[in-house]
Amino acid sequence: MTSPTCRLRLSTSPHLHAGAAVPQWMLHSVIALLPVTLFAVAVFGLAALATITVAILACLLAERACAAPSALDDGSAMLTGLLLGLSLPPALPLWMVAVGGFVAVAIGKHLFGGLGGPVFHPALVGRVILQAAFPTAMAQAWVTPLAPGRVSELPATSLAQPFMSPTAPYDGLSGATPLTATKAGEAGAPTADLWLGIVAGSVGETSAVLLLLGGVYLAIRRMIDWRIPVALLGTVAALSALLHGLDAERHPEVWTALGSGGLMLGAWFFATDPGISPTTRRGAWIYGLAIGALVVVMRQFSGHVEGVMYALLLGSALTPHIDRWTRPRPLPKGVER
Amino acid sequence: MFRHRTSFSGGIKLAMPDRIAADAVVRQMPFAPLLRLPLRQHAGAAAVAVVRAGEEVLRGQLLARAEDETAVPLHAPATGRVVRIGEQSDGAGGTVGVIELAPLPGDTQEQARERTFDADRLDADELLAAIREAGIIGLGGERGPTHQRLQRARKRGVAVLVINGIEGEPGFTRVPALLARHGSDVISGARFLGKVLGSQDAVLAVEKPDANSASAMLADSENHDRPVLAVLRPRYPQGAAELLVRTLARRPVEGIPAFNAEKAMVFSLATVAEIGRLLSHGLTMTDQLITLAGDGLRDTGNYRVPLGTPVGFALAQAGAHSELDRVLDGGPMRGHALGHLDRPITKGATGFVAMVANEQASLPEPMACIRCGECVAACPLQLHPAELGLLARRGEIQAMVEDWHLERCFECGCCAYVCPSHIPLVQMFRAAKKQSRRAKALAAGEEPA
Ligand code: SF4
Ligand code: SF4
Repeated sequence: MTSPTCRLRLSTSPHLHAGAAVPQWMLHSVIALLPVTLFAVAVFGLAALATITVAILACLLAERACAAPSALDDGSAMLTGLLLGLSLPPALPLWMVAVGGFVAVAIGKHLFGGLGGPVFHPALVGRVILQAAFPTAMAQAWVTPLAPGRVSELPATSLAQPFMSPTAPYDGLSGATPLTATKAGEAGAPTADLWLGIVAGSVGETSAVLLLLGGVYLAIRRMIDWRIPVALLGTVAALSALLHGLDAERHPEVWTALGSGGLMLGAWFFATDPGISPTTRRGAWIYGLAIGALVVVMRQFSGHVEGVMYALLLGSALTPHIDRWTRPRPLPKGVER
Repeated sequence: MFRHRTSFSGGIKLAMPDRIAADAVVRQMPFAPLLRLPLRQHAGAAAVAVVRAGEEVLRGQLLARAEDETAVPLHAPATGRVVRIGEQSDGAGGTVGVIELAPLPGDTQEQARERTFDADRLDADELLAAIREAGIIGLGGERGPTHQRLQRARKRGVAVLVINGIEGEPGFTRVPALLARHGSDVISGARFLGKVLGSQDAVLAVEKPDANSASAMLADSENHDRPVLAVLRPRYPQGAAELLVRTLARRPVEGIPAFNAEKAMVFSLATVAEIGRLLSHGLTMTDQLITLAGDGLRDTGNYRVPLGTPVGFALAQAGAHSELDRVLDGGPMRGHALGHLDRPITKGATGFVAMVANEQASLPEPMACIRCGECVAACPLQLHPAELGLLARRGEIQAMVEDWHLERCFECGCCAYVCPSHIPLVQMFRAAKKQSRRAKALAAGEEPA
């Protein structure tokens, strides 16, 4: 018997890998968001579908423009687009959606150094810039859920051209979303509808149940750090319970607080983005807690009813500091063996 | 007895197969036509040849003598003729002496006994001398001369002997083989070591898959001063002596009072069994129990291999695939890839993995660090691999060493194993360590190694 042939490859240890990969993580996130995406299309019709599609296309285009073609492989641009689309009002003019998507990737991601570089979630950057540039549109482009005709035609605003009169007629429901209503002391949507998602709101922010399911799926598959949403939602619940107990008139009850607005989307899908969250487990707790507290404070005490977005931005700004505070301390040296 | 302990923070769950009966089988490797024996097979000084080319030797006979406290003697792994005494590259830029031995056809693997004594009657000093004369070195991670370690330990004072029965690498099965086939050697080895160290207590630490065979082995022993069993939850790299002692010291094992980590000394199960085996019979170290694993082999499993057997010969005996892609000296987590297969198997060998080429064999291109923190959670020493990796990419070696404790990293590979961006973290750390040592040597005005 002779020795086996020797054209051996030299690689260094470890020669095994857990198998997890970045594109896979992106893929699972998309899977987790699929139910809520489909639901949004069912409830808001073509408007939602168009918003999501345009957001994704704009992000892919920006990725293409800013990075080597192979960078498209990791799927992060697509995920950014999907998340952005889900966080926008359904009847927002599509050209604004496109601007938001392009800005999200070009500025939110690549200006900060591409994958792994961003300090803020790119989709959130896109959204915040839209909010700043087109406050009226962002505040009014809501659509009545389950409106008849939603699958056959787009709201007129969706097709609005750039530079059109800002008073272009917004269709459907313009005015209060459930949280604004509560804050103003009016009766908001019933909590059950809120959780199911039969209310006016951003494309994918409506169905808290489906978002929760998707988030739990990601946590179980260990794609996200469960500590972040648990700390975040726990803090919101605790503080809301406290405030509601103190003044039930002005502050919504816990289930309403948890089920409304972008909270579920933010807690499970934005806050957990690895790039903007702390690297240590202890840090994850602090970070979730901080965002949760900020959400309640902004919602209840500041002018912004939709405080989640700003809370997330502030939270990610804290990340480098949290990382510094929770820097792992190496085990002390052992004895000589 | 079967309490599972959480061990240390970090580390990873490796797919370690549950042990099956077949894993305990040990096959005997026949003699290769030529055995090549480096005079230094451990950390320390080389031995000095006492035979000449052309001389006939008996299996077990002294070939090279230890002239130094840091050296161990070398014995003939086969009855045969010394064909050459020369030099070969030591793989680190220098050379090391080597004895080449051609076994006689029809050699029986029966060892000539040079020494006659009743090990049970020897006192601590005599046992220490016998360990040294048998040419024993550490057979776990630590590959220094065992007698030297024991001397140091005696100065320090050791209260607890820890027998490390933790299979360090996936696919390796030396532990079940030793427990099943060398149970009495383990017990007597532990007793000899206890005597040398003057320690009262001995703990045998195994992981769950080996718990049953370990307790069966202990139950078989008639000795009442046998080791106490500690069963740990499987977790890599639990077998690292430092982590193991920490774990055991933190939560006392039944029957043994909590001990101070500094008062414990860890020996691998293989070393303990070898000490028991050699001393009980007055034998010398002439072969090695190793695992041959990997998808490139037909007959994977444990083999008793004469020292000096070329790796290629051993793999061929285990039914190696004709086109191997990679051969690892050691296991898949920490082993290093061999460039050629005529390297001889030496005293410290634990096993080899032979792999054929397939899709899984190569990792995709590394991507940017997404700061997911997986590596931070996985590092058993609580270092910050992500930060170290970032600095390595920027070439900031000094910051790696001074601010982020690069030197503590013992290259367990957990961080690179989990990294979803496939960043070759350990590989980068290894290179950085080398550079930093070089820089230090230069600064000290020495020739860099
Ligand atoms: S290889 Fe080093 S840095 Fe990586 S996990 Fe192991 S000890 Fe930590
Ligand atoms: S596991 Fe890899 S991608 Fe994640 S933080 Fe560590 S180095 Fe970065």
